[in-house]
Amino acid sequence: MIERHIICFGNPLHGDDGFGPAVYQRLAPHARPAGLRLTEAGAPGPAALALFQDCAEIVIVDALAPAGTPGRIGRPSPAAVMQEATPAGHGVGLGYVLRALAALSERPPAIEIIGAEAGTVAPFRPGLSEPVARAADEVAALLLRSYFDSERHV
Amino acid sequence: MARLELNVSLNRVEGDLEIAVALEDGVVAEARTIGTMYRGFEQIMIGRAPRDSLVITPRVCGICGTAHLYSAVLALENAWRLSPPPNATRIRNLCLMAEGLQNDLRQTFLFFSPDFCTSRYAGEPWFDEMTAMFEPFRGAIYLETLAMTRRLVEIVAHFGGQWPHSSYMAPGGVTLPADLRRISACRAVLQEAQRWYEQRIVGAPLDRWLALDRAEDYLAWLDEPLHAASALGALTRCARALGLHRAAAGTGHMLSYGSWRDPLESSPGAGASLLRSGFYDGDAGSVAQLDQELINEHVRHSWFRHYDGGRHPWRGETVPNYQPGGDRYSWAKAPRYGDKAVQTGPLAELLIGGDALIASLHAMEGGGAWLRQFARVRRIAYEFFYAQRMLDELAAEPHGEHFTPPAGSSEADGDGFGLVMAARGALGHWIAIRNGVIERYQIITPTAWNASPRDSAGLPGHWEQSLVGVTVKDPDDPIEIGHIIRSHDPCLVCTVHMLDTGGKVHFGA
Repeated sequence: MIERHIICFGNPLHGDDGFGPAVYQRLAPHARPAGLRLTEAGAPGPAALALFQDCAEIVIVDALAPAGTPGRIGRPSPAAVMQEATPAGHGVGLGYVLRALAALSERPPAIEIIGAEAGTVAPFRPGLSEPVARAADEVAALLLRSYFDSERHV
Repeated sequence: MARLELNVSLNRVEGDLEIAVALEDGVVAEARTIGTMYRGFEQIMIGRAPRDSLVITPRVCGICGTAHLYSAVLALENAWRLSPPPNATRIRNLCLMAEGLQNDLRQTFLFFSPDFCTSRYAGEPWFDEMTAMFEPFRGAIYLETLAMTRRLVEIVAHFGGQWPHSSYMAPGGVTLPADLRRISACRAVLQEAQRWYEQRIVGAPLDRWLALDRAEDYLAWLDEPLHAASALGALTRCARALGLHRAAAGTGHMLSYGSWRDPLESSPGAGASLLRSGFYDGDAGSVAQLDQELINEHVRHSWFRHYDGGRHPWRGETVPNYQPGGDRYSWAKAPRYGDKAVQTGPLAELLIGGDALIASLHAMEGGGAWLRQFARVRRIAYEFFYAQRMLDELAAEPHGEHFTPPAGSSEADGDGFGLVMAARGALGHWIAIRNGVIERYQIITPTAWNASPRDSAGLPGHWEQSLVGVTVKDPDDPIEIGHIIRSHDPCLVCTVHMLDTGGKVHFGA
């Protein structure tokens, strides 16, 4: 059992959908305290269920759907994310994964979500928009301050 | 931390596939499968070191990365004339079986079966039973499948370090040996999953289930209490009540590359398989020996740079050339075996591989949507059976070689192919190496065979043939199309869009 797992979802080939991987890139070079795991997880299909095992607390980093303010940082509740509508199939979204976790009989980990509102999400357009790149800097800095500041590093 | 509350969804970029259907009097008169996203891995590979394929191509898919890795390593071994030691083949097989197990269970009970729990079927006599088993996030089998499949991929992680996107196979073997700790851990997972499969999915011990070999016996078996109460029993009664056993056979021609390499009969990149390979000729009703030279791809109706006719993958190219508005309609190419459109998947795998029950049911009723799905659940038994055998053989020789380092001189220029049966069917990688780098790389996925568009002769692909003649009761809720496409376990997100064009009702473009 580890203490905390930061899981960054997203596809860096699809514009601002690459927010999670961008945060991962900013965090990865830093020494992590013992008990903290960091993962770039790609798109959250059923395979992502395994990432939520054997951990007390999960921090999910992901892009939020466009709503008019690109780069705005948000912390939606897991319950809200579970309401997302995605078709059943291999492309199931984070909402599906969270619902599946909640449905399993075991005690799920505590889950926090932090994201940034996307500006443009388009297939095969790599690179973040400027406001979302700034948000990636800010979220990475917040996570570093909150979770990486420990004397026991690995 | 900055704290803002947003009630927004986290939708992923979706929509890789559309099914376009023309209805006449409620019956599908014409269908087109439209791959809406360019993949491009073939172009990514050009000019790279040959071994890069082992890291890059498993990323083609987050569900079947082991199968892509297996194909990629077989292609290199075929080009370089290398044979892995038996234990390496056993470990590769074991991991491929684990990946297949998780996929077959999830596809059947998380993606296919929940379609029978929609309100459309609320008046059916079987509705309550199906809902109790398969309703998303509530049904008993649905929840058990979620829990069980999460454990099965631990087998891949024991040897590959992670799943998906692992890269533990290398030309000459695998990177980790099979010590007793790994063998014991994998055996524990498999045994637990097999017990669950026997008790909850088929209602019988594995040997009895595998010994069932005649269609009449299976239909009688449906009334036996344990099987009747099982998930497969319920699914079978429901699907057959809807007529899915006589619907959507599509092309009668089938293709299998053979299931899992025989550890003791491995030749460079190929060798014998535990379930035989072949081409099932739907006209003749017989199986012919597989000849990979007959495989070719057409681009006449695809958004790629034009060439005449079909090309074998070693001479193939994948140069995007998007041309909206014409008669080209897909980012998928049209693979053909000779001039035949074929289907692939568990039905093809078991029919060609020699499963007597599947052969008997196919002879009696043809290969409809139910038999395709039934074959997927049947294949799970073979995956358990052979996975346990791989573990037994590894346990008998735990210190056997797992890797034979290739001589530097073996990594020469040449051509190679790697063919495996992935969860969804026949998967092939073809590589051409020149001047030490990849000159060409072509991948034909199982879904490319099934979701093929028309070819140079105008011949529709398998899905396009499957859908013609299907009655759609409610154009606003074309669930019949969902049953049929999902029975193939599509690797692309299946979306159906509707556009009213007047005289006919169309779904899609």
